[in-house]
Amino acid sequence: MTKGFYEEYEVFSRRSDTAPMQYQFSLLAPNEELALIMAQENFMRREPASDIWVIKRSHIRKMTLEEKETLKRLDNKDYRNTKGYGYLKKKWRKYEQGMLDEKEIMSWGGNQP
Amino acid sequence: MTKIISPDEANQNSSFKSALTELLYQLADDDFILAYRGSEWLGLAPHIEEDVAFSSINQDTMGHAVILYQLLEELGEGDMDVLAHSRAPKERRNAVLLEKVNGTGTYLQNPNYDWAFTVIRHYFYTAVKKIKMDSLKNSTYQPLADAAARVSIELFYHMMHWRTWFQQLMLAGGEARTRMESAISQVMDEMEGVLTLGPKGQEIIKFALIEHDQTLKARWQAVMIPVFTSVNFVMPESMGMKSGNGRNGEHTADLESALAIMNEVYILDPAANW
Repeated sequence: MTKGFYEEYEVFSRRSDTAPMQYQFSLLAPNEELALIMAQENFMRREPASDIWVIKRSHIRKMTLEEKETLKRLDNKDYRNTKGYGYLKKKWRKYEQGMLDEKEIMSWGGNQP
Repeated sequence: MTKIISPDEANQNSSFKSALTELLYQLADDDFILAYRGSEWLGLAPHIEEDVAFSSINQDTMGHAVILYQLLEELGEGDMDVLAHSRAPKERRNAVLLEKVNGTGTYLQNPNYDWAFTVIRHYFYTAVKKIKMDSLKNSTYQPLADAAARVSIELFYHMMHWRTWFQQLMLAGGEARTRMESAISQVMDEMEGVLTLGPKGQEIIKFALIEHDQTLKARWQAVMIPVFTSVNFVMPESMGMKSGNGRNGEHTADLESALAIMNEVYILDPAANW
């Protein structure tokens, strides 16, 4: 496409007011006003939509191939993904049991003449 | 030199092992203490998202220290928790630059930390670390070469992070520029200590565990010069070890106080299972 009159726009929409905004597709338009109505008329005639966003593709800061290298992570970070604290119940039970036993032992001592 | 592929094989050659452990202590101690200094910014970083991003980087760096201490443990140097927590300051091999406090005050009282110093220190160190890790990928000690390949994966992000801060603050002008320039000279005063391989350097190089420190230094400067040019600043040529050579076990009171704080809980019960 020759640079000039038409430019690429990226289109986002959500199905309802509480739905997440989702990327849909791209289209060509001479400005954002036209991009918005083209998005609506051409692609959302059958889909319910509660909101539409359009943005010029050139306004999006994308990652370069080299920058995508920065997304890699080592697999040594279990601590960042706590899988709930389910094990705590068991741990508490163990300690409560311990306290009960101590109490019992004390009470035996108290019953001594 | 042929590759040494296992700790057992390394243990059969005492001069090789001595050079190897020396290098490993330098690498592990560097990451360990800088990860701690970084973690002291938690809740204090000058930007709320940076607080999380920087903390993640510090966790990554501590993870790298774990990988390196593990190599020492496998060589029979002792339990890695003991290596990290219980060695006296004079046994530590980290560069003095990395142990220095973040600024005046303490974490709990008037932490008047210097963000410019932090950005420069972390950026310069990370760039050196990347160059060392790339060189270590060809190390004659295969477990270290493998560890370097793993650690390198996360350095792309660390580099992008610190280079971005460096360029943004250098080009911001005003107080930011002034403080950054003064931090550059502060860090360059100690930078030699990060690059040097210390008193056993010749042995380390002879066994081809890593390339010559002069080679690494030239490579580091080659990486940094274009970045300095991009922010209209001439990279200082000279660097030093103003506060001593950490590779020799020379350290400042800053290291002692850092270790005391870090070990506070560990010392309560070193055998505790967390």
